[in-house]
Amino acid sequence: MSDRVGIIGIGATQFRSITPDVSYKELMFEAAVKAYDDAGINPRKDVDTFVTCAEDYIEGTSIFDEYVPDQIGAALKPVHTIGGDGLHGIATAFLQLKTGRFDIAVVEAHCKPSNMLTPDGIEACGQDPIYNRPLKLNTHFIAGLEMNRFCYETGVTYDQCAKVVIKNRRNALNNPIAGRAAKLKLNDFKYAESVSCPLTELDIAQPADGAVVIVLANESKVRALKKEPIWVSGIGWCNGTATLESRDWVYLNYVTKAAEMAYKMAGIADPQKDISFAEIDDRYSYKELQHLMALKLCCSCNPGQCVDNGRTEINGEFPVNPSGGALGMGYMYEATGLARLYCAVEQLRGNAGKNQIKNAKTALVQGWRGLPTTSTAVTILNA
Amino acid sequence: MAMKERLTKADEAKPWYGELPVESLYTAGIAGEKFFRSIQEKGVFLGSKCHKCNMVYVPPKIYCEQDFEKLEDYVEVADCGSLESFTCVHIGLDGKRLLEPMIVGLINLDGASTSIVHMLGETTVEELCMGMRVCAVFKPKNKREGAITDILYFKPTKQ
Ligand SMILES: [Zn+2]
Repeated sequence: MSDRVGIIGIGATQFRSITPDVSYKELMFEAAVKAYDDAGINPRKDVDTFVTCAEDYIEGTSIFDEYVPDQIGAALKPVHTIGGDGLHGIATAFLQLKTGRFDIAVVEAHCKPSNMLTPDGIEACGQDPIYNRPLKLNTHFIAGLEMNRFCYETGVTYDQCAKVVIKNRRNALNNPIAGRAAKLKLNDFKYAESVSCPLTELDIAQPADGAVVIVLANESKVRALKKEPIWVSGIGWCNGTATLESRDWVYLNYVTKAAEMAYKMAGIADPQKDISFAEIDDRYSYKELQHLMALKLCCSCNPGQCVDNGRTEINGEFPVNPSGGALGMGYMYEATGLARLYCAVEQLRGNAGKNQIKNAKTALVQGWRGLPTTSTAVTILNA
Repeated sequence: MAMKERLTKADEAKPWYGELPVESLYTAGIAGEKFFRSIQEKGVFLGSKCHKCNMVYVPPKIYCEQDFEKLEDYVEVADCGSLESFTCVHIGLDGKRLLEPMIVGLINLDGASTSIVHMLGETTVEELCMGMRVCAVFKPKNKREGAITDILYFKPTKQ
């Protein structure tokens, strides 16, 4: 049981706005081939258990878990799909390895939103069917309400939210797999169309197709394979209330609880000192700041100041989303958290190229399942 | 690359169209039934009170999400309250731009610990501010059907 869990292989496709040439199964296959090659393993022989993360309605197929084994080498092996973010899949695989019954576990998540012809309608099906859905509102309204209240109560300005977008999309310019890199100026936000005020189209991470596969192993297997792993030293997850009516619209207590669980496991006393950088959910611009606050990673009581004084830039005191985040790489539904993890591993391995952070030793990775959920997972990684 | 070959002509990429035809009933439940009947018959908002933590849930629940107490005490709350947040929505359910934006508010009714989500009417977004007083405007009684849409919208008041 004292055995540590390490990441020994990662694989990802390019994240692209459309991928008409390949099916979702082929996207999964491509990411899997890369991850197994990276880990130096044969999935048919070496992998003991597989976890995939997907949501039927987003796939456009019910009982979606039935469709996952073949293309990741999981036929006739323990495999199951969870309805949650990819980081929840990491938590599940982590627990399975901790049982001692398995040596190598694989986690997969993917998304092909370019195949969703009615994404707004599908997302609206996630709203409460009795109290909220009859109002016939586009689900972004929840982000509009939340951003308005969050900025009002914390003093974060819309310009500060825009600076998060500018930072993340610029970071993505040097990330070879990112699909939404751009050089933006504050002035561009003046002309951005309002989606749900104060939220504009530029505040929203745009969807991307892609797949990510991560290979994890227990410590004895890591040693046997003579791998240089990235250790999973802490993991936590938590859900807030599902109802819009009773949730807190400013302070995300479920994110704080998940972080505290992970910090405790990893022995982190002072998150801002003990962690080198963070890859966190930025589905909406203000969410990066709201998540930073909940994760106790803010330098001051106003999280907006972190982005103002350059603290969260790649060369800043505490880099946030050096990969470009979902704003810069593309929003990938259940695969979003796993994309953050993939990029955090690249950083800790020293493979982040022009985006490389000096002396990156410990990373925090956080995933959120998107609206209308209050579902999050946090992982601490160590080089 | 994981694939030895890939398509090289865009017109060779063939999509199939499909749909998921799904219809459902949704049950309001014990607390929801009381909430909607009260709106339909009396135009009154009902909440349920937890005697352990003093939370008043509107809409009511039969359990407290804080401490898992069973909630059996239904209390009437006001049909006016303060605006906790608001937004003007410009995109419809089909992803297309709306001709008229829809204004939505988060309303903390007097006497409730929670906030209702509903439309705001007889106002413009420029007139709105945090903490503003708003009151419910119901459909005429003979048009109500026991649904959240029995409330037409909330409108700002001077009260
Ligand atoms: Zn209670």
